[in-house]
Amino acid sequence: MSFSLLILTGVLFAAGSYLLMERSLTRIALGVGVLGNGVNVLIVAAGSSPAEAPIIGRVGELTDPLPQALVLTAIVIGFALLSFVLALAWRNWTITENDEVEDDVEDRLITRRDSSSAKSTDERHREDVSP
Amino acid sequence: MTSPEHPKDVSNSGGARNPSDIVRSAIFDELVDRWLSKVAVLVAIYVTFRGHNAPGGGFAGGLIVGGVFVLQYLTGREPHVRFRTILHPTRLLGFGLLLALGTTVTPLFVGATPLESHIWKLDVPLIGEVKIVSSMFFDLGVFFVVVAVVLMILLSLGTRQSTVFGDEDIA
Amino acid sequence: MALLVAVLGLFLVGVATAVGLRRRPLVGAFAGLAVFLAGVAATVVEGVGVDEAPTATVKWLSALGLDLHFSLDGFGVLMSLIVLVLGFAVLTYAIAYFEHDETFARFVGVFLAFAGSMTGVVIASDLFTMFVFWELTSICSFLLIGLNDKSESARQAAVRALLTTGAGGLCLLGAVALLQVDVGTTRFTDLVALQPTGTLVDAAIVLILLGAFTKSAQFPFHFWLPGAMAAPTPVSAYLHSATMVKAGIVLLARTSPAFGESAFWQWWVVIAGCVTMLIGGWRALRQNDAKLLLAHSTVSQLGLLTVLVGIGSPLALYAGVAHLLAHAVFKVGLFLGVGVVDHELETREVSRLAEARTRLPLVTASLVVATLSMAGIIPFFGFVTKEKALVALLEADLGNVATIALVGVVAGSVLSVAYSARLLRALVRRPLKVAAEHHTSRVGAILLARPVVEAAGFSLAFGLFASFVGKVLVAPALSLDADAKGKLVLWPGIDDALLISAVVIIVGSFIGWRAPLTATRTGGTRGERTFDRIYDSTLGFAKRITAATQTGSLPMYVAVTAVVATAAMLSGLLLDGFPSAASFVDDSPMTVLVALLVAVFAVATVVVPLRFTAALLLGGVGYGIAVLFVMRGAPDLALTQLLVETLTIVIFLLALRVMPRRFAPASQWVPKWARAAVAAAIGVVVPCFALLVRESREAPSVAADYLTRSVDEAGGANVVNVILVDFRGFDTMGEITVLAIAALGVVNLVRVAERQRRAKSAGSAK
Repeated sequence: MSFSLLILTGVLFAAGSYLLMERSLTRIALGVGVLGNGVNVLIVAAGSSPAEAPIIGRVGELTDPLPQALVLTAIVIGFALLSFVLALAWRNWTITENDEVEDDVEDRLITRRDSSSAKSTDERHREDVSP
Repeated sequence: MTSPEHPKDVSNSGGARNPSDIVRSAIFDELVDRWLSKVAVLVAIYVTFRGHNAPGGGFAGGLIVGGVFVLQYLTGREPHVRFRTILHPTRLLGFGLLLALGTTVTPLFVGATPLESHIWKLDVPLIGEVKIVSSMFFDLGVFFVVVAVVLMILLSLGTRQSTVFGDEDIA
Repeated sequence: MALLVAVLGLFLVGVATAVGLRRRPLVGAFAGLAVFLAGVAATVVEGVGVDEAPTATVKWLSALGLDLHFSLDGFGVLMSLIVLVLGFAVLTYAIAYFEHDETFARFVGVFLAFAGSMTGVVIASDLFTMFVFWELTSICSFLLIGLNDKSESARQAAVRALLTTGAGGLCLLGAVALLQVDVGTTRFTDLVALQPTGTLVDAAIVLILLGAFTKSAQFPFHFWLPGAMAAPTPVSAYLHSATMVKAGIVLLARTSPAFGESAFWQWWVVIAGCVTMLIGGWRALRQNDAKLLLAHSTVSQLGLLTVLVGIGSPLALYAGVAHLLAHAVFKVGLFLGVGVVDHELETREVSRLAEARTRLPLVTASLVVATLSMAGIIPFFGFVTKEKALVALLEADLGNVATIALVGVVAGSVLSVAYSARLLRALVRRPLKVAAEHHTSRVGAILLARPVVEAAGFSLAFGLFASFVGKVLVAPALSLDADAKGKLVLWPGIDDALLISAVVIIVGSFIGWRAPLTATRTGGTRGERTFDRIYDSTLGFAKRITAATQTGSLPMYVAVTAVVATAAMLSGLLLDGFPSAASFVDDSPMTVLVALLVAVFAVATVVVPLRFTAALLLGGVGYGIAVLFVMRGAPDLALTQLLVETLTIVIFLLALRVMPRRFAPASQWVPKWARAAVAAAIGVVVPCFALLVRESREAPSVAADYLTRSVDEAGGANVVNVILVDFRGFDTMGEITVLAIAALGVVNLVRVAERQRRAKSAGSAK
């Protein structure tokens, strides 16, 4: 296993996850990009050894093609995902002039809304008993 | 109040100038639009088909065409203007998906497992033996999907007034 | 087994009625009646008078040993007949009962599906098969209790019943697993032959008992059954009295010959059964609603059956099976009869039952007969079986357990005589007023009354011809246990049991006759309230957890995920040890240089305050990695990566051009150093973990296989591409679908934002 690629993976993971923990959608998009690259490098570095490209007919030992196939689609999907996040950022900016993810208030309201509408056990039972 | 509606407001508000302003130049224009784009599309198709035996394939080929669109866009041309009259990107997307899906399920009708490759060998005069593998059509489907995806993303984020995907229904 | 075809037919007709014949439920109902008759015929032809019980196996997952096994032994014949004959009778009744009711189609559908499931339960010959059908009956019961889905109390009762019986079903599944693992079989015949013991078997016993107790509404799970009376009368009569609640008894009957010897089993069965008998009997004595009275009485009778079937004495088992038959017959008659009165007078109040006397003389007379059978009065069938039960307990050689059981049964019998006497008084006393108008059509009245009269007739006839019934119907129950023996007689002669009975009847009548017809307290029982408390507090707990964890902050979610993932990997590392002797290859200086450059770009992406610069740096990361891919022998990746990075930069430029050059100062939701610490931890743990994973790899790569097959089978030399379009083409198919969805997402996000922006600027322009 290549030592320098391993260290590089660590740096990319650290940088990517730091960016993901931001509020700015642009930085989150950057994080998606960096982290995606980190994963790709990790799979290639950990899944295969450096050798000749896996094309039949080439001279020498051929490297494992499977990680490459996995990563190839991952690269393209990463691009689509990044575009999606950027579209989100663009949309946020166009509507609110702000590209930060606000806290989702709905998440907090769930508890409050539910407890206000639900009846307590005893209440329901009183209703059952009354004719 | 600054509204990001007009390009000049955007540049005033501290954002970068519209990229199309940056690199627009007549020579570049001519080069890209006349020659590079056509050559690049040919290259892309070549890369797609040779992918079965050498580096390349549908993903790479599709991305090359995507790159051509980007260049066209940067030179200020709207890449879709001529294109969309022939094939709307969404339709291209569906076409690519159907092509790939069709290649996936067709072997079922001839009693094979899904995606099982069939290899035709043709004797073409002068060139010699040409091998055609059924999975090339799958790769072609991938190619169209990637082209359509790049085009859709580019047109959505790239146009101020989104004319292509205006108010018609897409999904 | 032709009966299985009938079972399948019940399911098919049921589904067809509920789904396809909503407008014409009568068609489904008549088809269902025909299937019931066919099922009865199949049962009689195949099961009665044969030397060896017919068996059948339906293959399901043979590889896992999960097949459905059925056997139509003597007990199965008796139970199938009860299920199918009563199903037929109740369905004819329901046709009139549901006249002009829009829920009829749903009722018929679920009812038939239930009858099929219940037949499956009674002819299942292993615990697993029984479990499958058992769960189906729970679901059908839920749907039928909640048939009137506009009533909140009906819905609540349905949920209570489903959760209680469903929990029991899970216990049963646990028992299946334990027995399969420990004993190696769940076939009832094998279990009886093996007589397994051991700790795991004891656990399985507890689980089986929990399953039986929840289903048959035994203490402390007795509360759901009265609530289930929210269902229409035919449902109450069929499911919650005659058949489904007997599933627990069937389970006990099937397993008691295998486990009944253990004192543990005996004590639990006797205590639960006796307590249930007493609670049910006491409650039945104090109900205003005749249907609820019958429900509590059912609970009480189920307690008696549990004691008899579960105690592990062959004679008691025989008596239990006989009483099960007796109870099914008289209780169906009572329920349906009360239903007729309800239909006619639109009341089920005990104190007004007598008003139906002049209008429904035949029904009232039948109710009286059925009540007498319930009280155990000679010459009705209930007397015969009650006597048998007392004799069995008197003769049982089980020491203290039998004594306690006897005391409990006697006390319970006093109560059951008492509530029967109260019901009898309500039926025969002079009515306060006489109902005037007729609700039901003539045909309807006949359809409604017929099964009631028949049930009463059978209660009498079975009693009069007790020895014949004993020989034909009950004797085959010894298929359960080779030792089970006995015969039924109408007049046993004067013995201890008869004397006890006499005392019971006198005391019980005295109590019952004096009991007021209008009780003071009704409403939810304590069990129901306890259940609801548990239910509500579970939901409340879930809500508090949700409130505590779902703060609505996206960065927080990411951080928590990151910390948990890091902790998981770290624990793996600590358990397996950090990789010590990893084999590193020598990197070329070029590789080291490029990797260093990429790392610098990555760190710079994090720290630069400018949007475009950050995006360009990200591009630098990508290009660098493309170079690394080339050096690793991955030209395909390098090509794709180069193209993607170029496009990514452009997309970034397009999206960011509307935004300011600099990032706004980040809002401090968590101190910077904390985020940096989490990120650093990830950066350290992930490579270590990757190293560990790689070092502990055992299986060889599939690469060799792919490399050899690539040219011959897929006609391609570029193996990466061949994997994408051929070997793993399905994955690629999925991936391009994801691409398409993402692109559509982008298009729609932008389009909607454009529209909103235009609307906003139009609004502000005004």
